[in-house]
Amino acid sequence: MHRYPRWPIHLALIGVSFLMLIPFYWVLKTSVTGENIFAYPPSILPKSPHPFYYVDVWYYIPFARYFLNSIIVSLLTVAANVVFNAMAGYALTRDFPAKSFVLLLFLSCMMVPFQATIIPAYLITGRLGLLDSYLGLALPQFSTIVCIFVFKASFDAVPRSLIDAARIDGLSEWRIIWQIMMPLAKGAIATNVILAFIWSWNNFLWPLIVTRSADMQTLPLGLARFLSYQEDTTGALYAFCIMVLAPGIVLFLLAQNEFIRGLASGATKG
Amino acid sequence: MAVAPAVTYRPQRLVRTRRAVLVWCFLAPSLIIFLLYRIIPLLWNVALSFADWAPLRPMRWAGFDQYEEMFYDEVFWQALWNTLLFIASAPLGIVIALGLALLVSSDIRGRNVYRTIIFISYPLMTVAVAIIWRWLFEERVGLINYVARSLHLVDQPIQFLNSFFWALPSVIAANIWQMLGFYMIILLTGLQNIPPNLYEAAAIDGADARRRFWRITVPLLKPSLFLCFVIGMLNSFTSFDLVYVMTGGGPGRATELLVTYIYKLGFSQTRFDYAAAVTIVFFVMLVTITWMANRLSGGNAGAVEKD
Repeated sequence: MHRYPRWPIHLALIGVSFLMLIPFYWVLKTSVTGENIFAYPPSILPKSPHPFYYVDVWYYIPFARYFLNSIIVSLLTVAANVVFNAMAGYALTRDFPAKSFVLLLFLSCMMVPFQATIIPAYLITGRLGLLDSYLGLALPQFSTIVCIFVFKASFDAVPRSLIDAARIDGLSEWRIIWQIMMPLAKGAIATNVILAFIWSWNNFLWPLIVTRSADMQTLPLGLARFLSYQEDTTGALYAFCIMVLAPGIVLFLLAQNEFIRGLASGATKG
Repeated sequence: MAVAPAVTYRPQRLVRTRRAVLVWCFLAPSLIIFLLYRIIPLLWNVALSFADWAPLRPMRWAGFDQYEEMFYDEVFWQALWNTLLFIASAPLGIVIALGLALLVSSDIRGRNVYRTIIFISYPLMTVAVAIIWRWLFEERVGLINYVARSLHLVDQPIQFLNSFFWALPSVIAANIWQMLGFYMIILLTGLQNIPPNLYEAAAIDGADARRRFWRITVPLLKPSLFLCFVIGMLNSFTSFDLVYVMTGGGPGRATELLVTYIYKLGFSQTRFDYAAAVTIVFFVMLVTITWMANRLSGGNAGAVEKD
């Protein structure tokens, strides 16, 4: 079957990989050398690289503060997501009156993209007094329908007889959930953690709307803000960019199979 | 033994009520979130779109005034057109991704490395991606202009993001770059689900590679291709970060999308009522397109299953 030569495939894929990676290289190069935007041609290899732009970032902007804000909002989102979605997913495996109505409600909510709710969502958050707060930043993402269904599918796969056996042994509902269901739903939990984290970490539109003070800004906002007020700090901007991207890339490389599976399943049902 | 009888003797009704309470308590947090951030906003948008309102002012009934204004609003039509162009670019990315998926699915060494490299741009922060691409498109020292000038494709550097003609294609290119790996993963999963013996049988019957591709791969991949298309469409339709950071909707309104326009109307011009009306049109279009896509896919998926 496999008579065809392999090298053209490798050649094509190496070319594509090059195209996918060269943007990162160009930014990385700028972050260690800076760039004189009036000098042409630009150098391809970094000339006398130095790490000073990475130091500059700490002086120009409160990087630690942005980072901390992003972490707090993401942790809140992830924690609330796993708990609430698991609860709702478990409820949906049971029979109760109005179940079909609740399912229909969830499915129709899925049709409403967040971008179509920004004006009232801002007004509602204002009424709740949560503008410019961590809770206000995280609240709209506290539960995601896709992940509820991921949990439901995972709980549905637990054999009925196992639950019945546990119930006959006198386990309370809570212990059934914590000691039988949750350990069997590890895959769903991993998917939910990854999706919630990515959505929250990369979110830009909502923080742009609800934050007012510089103290509450998250990393994507800090990046966009930095872009708008710097002119001659070219190197520092790209150093900042790399500092924002690096943790995400490292995290992705460490758990790439879970990432790919999670993102694919999230999108499949989204 | 001491516990079990208690369960047996407990009145059936009490157990049932307790279970119902438990179910609703479990659903409550999610339901509250969706009510607060999906259902109420939708209704509120409808109400606002028929009103004349700004913060700290009483709400007045305005009938279809907002919609009428929209009809004569050139910026709205421009934003709509740009959004449709953005959507229309999704198939281009999917075709490229299909080629990549076919290459990566061949059993060559190091295909996982290629897969990782192609996918890596997808989960990254879109704001950072936008900054990277702004820099690549830069007029003097941007890589793209440098390459184009070195190859003598152009004499003068092109101001990609300041050009009425190039700004939208530039943003679209960045979007495709970010989405490519994602499409590829979906298509790769679809390719792996095609039974290999189909190809073997076709090869024995004397079908060449081209016919095998068109007669086996493409029909069986239809559901995955369709999924890619729906997701790509939704992604383009709701895109905001990339345009906002790369061009801010400019030059002029050359890259204004519906979402960026809604954002600007609401939060820089404080025209919540008009922004709500645009949102309603945006939402109705989204539902229509998704519904049409679902109907189409229903027909296609059924056809595949029948074979």
